[in-house]
Amino acid sequence: MSAKVLVALRIKASPQRVFEVFTDDIAAWWRPNALFSFTPRSPGVLAFEDGEGGGRRLVERLPTGKVFEIGPVRVWEPGQRLVFGWRQASFAPGMDTEVDVRFEAVGEETRITVEHRGWETVPTEHVARHRFPDAVFLRRHGEWWQALLAELSKAATSG
Amino acid sequence: MATARSALTSALCYRDPKAALRWLEEAFGFELVMLIEDAEGNLAHSEMKFGDSLVMIGNEWTAQHRSPASIEGLNTQSLHVHLAESDIDAHCARARAAGAEILMEPSDQFYGDRTYRCRDLEGHFWTVGQTVRAVSREEAESATGLKIEGWI
Repeated sequence: MSAKVLVALRIKASPQRVFEVFTDDIAAWWRPNALFSFTPRSPGVLAFEDGEGGGRRLVERLPTGKVFEIGPVRVWEPGQRLVFGWRQASFAPGMDTEVDVRFEAVGEETRITVEHRGWETVPTEHVARHRFPDAVFLRRHGEWWQALLAELSKAATSG
Repeated sequence: MATARSALTSALCYRDPKAALRWLEEAFGFELVMLIEDAEGNLAHSEMKFGDSLVMIGNEWTAQHRSPASIEGLNTQSLHVHLAESDIDAHCARARAAGAEILMEPSDQFYGDRTYRCRDLEGHFWTVGQTVRAVSREEAESATGLKIEGWI
């Protein structure tokens, strides 16, 4: 089993469109959260890009010019599903979380569901947890995801 | 706060909240918008959305928080669902098919709503209504013999 948070939102656009905006335009809708920054030098600009060896990966391009790999893309099914790894620079080996995004057509809308799991690999006393108890930490993180999906919705339904 | 909340939100206790999440989607068309699970897979917090409102679905998290299923079906509240668009008779049929115990079939009320009442999988009371006719205060008073204040 896995400590996880799941959030979902209806977006007035097709699953294909929402997927494209999620991946291609992540720099435009992403909003950093000071509590959950990836590196001490964050925030930078997020992007899905081709990694070394052919696979895709999610990175943060930092103001210093350095590129931090947030995680490799594990599933890339346009309009349906996107799975990628998610780690902060402070994570020790063995600490790893994963984001599983599903895009589901509901009438003319898309129900997007983000499941962020694997938080049991990051001990409560770790700096990334801010000493929040499990449920509080996951709720704060989930609220950030809700805010992010609201921005994604705005981006997907404009223009 | 990440998302806008309505001013009032109910939080319900279930012995099996994960089963309740599935049931409420199947029966009433609620949609899960947040779910938090601990390392053992136990539900820690969840929220479902219907229209512009939320309801929180939780477990029996203290000795004083109980599902009706744990206290011989007793309730201190019933929750009201108001339909904006969907047809209430079809809504009732859907709830019945999901296993809701229908306590009162859909019927027209003097105040202009058509409503039904049911009990869910753990015994929570729900009323579901849809406004089908505009009724004036005078008409409602003469229909019931009650003195009514605050009629909108």
